Amino acid sequence: MAILEAAGIRRSYPGVVALDGVDLRLEAGRVHVLAGENGAGKSTLVKILTGIERPETGTIRIDGRDALADRALFRQIAYVPQELNLFAHLSVAENLLMPFGRAGLGVIPRRGRMRGLAQAQLRRFGIRARPEQKAGEIAVSDQQLLQIARAASAREFRALILDEPTSSLTDMETARLFAVLRRLRDDGHAIVFISHKMAEIFDLGDEVTVLRNGRRVGHAPIEAIDAAGLIRLMSGEEVRLDDVVPPATRPGPLLLRAAGLSGQGFSDVSFELRQGEVLGVAGLVGAGRSDVMQTLFGFLPASGGGVELGGEALRLGSPAHSVRRGLVYLSEERKLHGILPRRSLRENIAVSLLGRISTGGVISARRERALTGEIIARYAIRAASPETRIMFLSGGNQQKAIIGRAMAQSPRVLIFDEPTKGIDVRTKAEIYRLIAELARSGVGIILVSSEMEELRRCATRIITMYQGRISGDFPNPGTDSDTLLAAIIGHHPAGPVPVEAA
Amino acid sequence: MWARLRRLPLLGVGAAFIAIFVVSCLLSPYFLTRFNLTIMARDLAFIGLVTIGQSILLILGELDLSLGAIAGLCAVAGGILMVGHGWNPWLSLGLCVLLGMLCGMLNGLLVALLRLHSLVLTIGMAGVYGGLNLVATKGIAITGIPADIGILGRGQVGGLPVPFVVMLALLALASFGMLATAPGRYAYAIGDNPAAARMLGLRVDAVRVAGFAFAGLLAALAGMLMVARLGTAQPSIGDSWVLPPIAASVIGGVATTGGTGSPVGAILGAAIIGVIDNIIVLFGVSPYWQSMVSGAIVVLAIAFDSLSRRLG
Repeated sequence: MAILEAAGIRRSYPGVVALDGVDLRLEAGRVHVLAGENGAGKSTLVKILTGIERPETGTIRIDGRDALADRALFRQIAYVPQELNLFAHLSVAENLLMPFGRAGLGVIPRRGRMRGLAQAQLRRFGIRARPEQKAGEIAVSDQQLLQIARAASAREFRALILDEPTSSLTDMETARLFAVLRRLRDDGHAIVFISHKMAEIFDLGDEVTVLRNGRRVGHAPIEAIDAAGLIRLMSGEEVRLDDVVPPATRPGPLLLRAAGLSGQGFSDVSFELRQGEVLGVAGLVGAGRSDVMQTLFGFLPASGGGVELGGEALRLGSPAHSVRRGLVYLSEERKLHGILPRRSLRENIAVSLLGRISTGGVISARRERALTGEIIARYAIRAASPETRIMFLSGGNQQKAIIGRAMAQSPRVLIFDEPTKGIDVRTKAEIYRLIAELARSGVGIILVSSEMEELRRCATRIITMYQGRISGDFPNPGTDSDTLLAAIIGHHPAGPVPVEAA
Repeated sequence: MWARLRRLPLLGVGAAFIAIFVVSCLLSPYFLTRFNLTIMARDLAFIGLVTIGQSILLILGELDLSLGAIAGLCAVAGGILMVGHGWNPWLSLGLCVLLGMLCGMLNGLLVALLRLHSLVLTIGMAGVYGGLNLVATKGIAITGIPADIGILGRGQVGGLPVPFVVMLALLALASFGMLATAPGRYAYAIGDNPAAARMLGLRVDAVRVAGFAFAGLLAALAGMLMVARLGTAQPSIGDSWVLPPIAASVIGGVATTGGTGSPVGAILGAAIIGVIDNIIVLFGVSPYWQSMVSGAIVVLAIAFDSLSRRLG
């Protein structure tokens, strides 16, 4: 039986038609994958399915009743956004049960009763946390599950929509999440699952709907389609990720050396990066990979050790100094650390390049337009105009703008921290190609990634981190996955690899 | 069409100013007289100088509530130097403007080095500067300011009051700096997303300190021009220059969250407040109403901006 049935959904924004006659049917006890490139209309569709936005035309029936007329029906559709948006300073129980009125707790909630209610939910969703812990202090994967538990417990939900729930999870944490989702599905809920990761789509999905440029270009049971076919549907053309191979150049002279670097959450980290190398950094979320890189770059304070860049010591603690020396870091947190949301695409690109387009401190508007136009064209950044505020661009195009900006600074060492998080397959392939090109041209690359496949494709060497320390250094290709995995989960390569209980 | 118009940031506040100006002309025969326009231009000059500085700080994502106190402190310092010590009035004036810059710079350094919130810090610093002012003067005005510098407050250039011309010159300078130079661009970047600005390798703290220093300098300049105009150094100079510049900035499209707007917009906002205050006086309405009306205008302006963003 259909829990939700949307037909002929159309929604446009000034200048773009985001959705054009889209149909979607959510069945009880099925995981429905929503696939499409960045900007295909997935987010808009989610906003309409959850009642946040109204379609211009089309119908939505929930339980067979017209939801656009009776908006209370949308309460049955729970939604978990991509970004974590918990109250980090409040307790797990408070996060779970707010608003208290709906949880039957009244104006002055009783502690014991709250604890009991929360405990039941924590058990149901397999969350490893105590009710009184601060939400910001539990593991990211548990925060993700907490967010799902909150969406599910705040209302009598029948369908659950998850927008890229695994983008900050490791494979093992993802498996835990999937176990919870499968249980919800088997209880008769409908699950909408949005992801760019092929393996997950085929692992979890029962059926798939593909959007491209606001239209539904395909719908099939998962058995009836394969990864190549799905990619072809999403992009409208062949995209071959396999074409990208690590650059086969011999490593050149030493570019960067970290010696005994220590800081928040990690200690005594030493490694070297040579010209032409793509150094992959693998590890679980929380292993300290981003902390090491941000400390190396000067964004976070170091508590010990040192870094040499091009043979000279790097002054730690000052990103401005690092950038001047040719060390550039591209953060995983695009919104938080990458873009200037309310400034135009042009300004976002030009802000790092003002020295090149100004004379005597005065910016030349003509040269600025020319240079930014060139970068927009070279990296195929799609925007209505260079004057569009960058926050209105899709994630993939924002990422391309950030990468283009970094490249134009001609860095000696470029650190990519999860560069393809939330990026569609086609743009992913473009980014892999860029990384290979850069390495070939002599730039040292550090690639932090949670996707083993990504490291396998791009890196020339992979170091692994476990609990704030380097646990291994392996050539790539040339190392089998079990050895890598053992180092990532902190076991000696020789020992057995235990599977953590979910 | 609407989207394109909305992208011209000054259109809304510019149109609002023209509309209010035209309506005022129709409402009162005294409005469009040379005498009245001169008064308005001169009043706008003082609040305008402070507004330029405050708008730049707001763009940076900061705020300085001690600008009025800095203006007052520098004004009485000028009076003490000129009258008490008999120093050259021009030299004294220059030194006091520098003093204002140093006060602003101190605020900026404290905000940057101690990672303090500028709202809280500058409330405290307003007390410090205001207290120094009272210690030095015991609240009594310093009279007998040399007439030499009177031209700065009361003179005219090409039919325009000197303070107004000074304000326009600094507005042009500030606009040029904000739009066409690297530090100006960095200010917008820092206000929009400080973490990203740091990641980009911008010298966030240096730009912040420079912003505070410039705002302090402008406030002190406004204070000295006021001394020149009054011929006395009143300890109360600057008391009413704290909130109107913030209101003017917001009316003029400078978001309190930082990263957007421009000094020109803020000055147009200040002009709107000035015209409304003026028309209330011309109508003989009790001045007690003035503050209520300009307060209501601020709320209307923000409400309009928020609504048009939601609908746009």
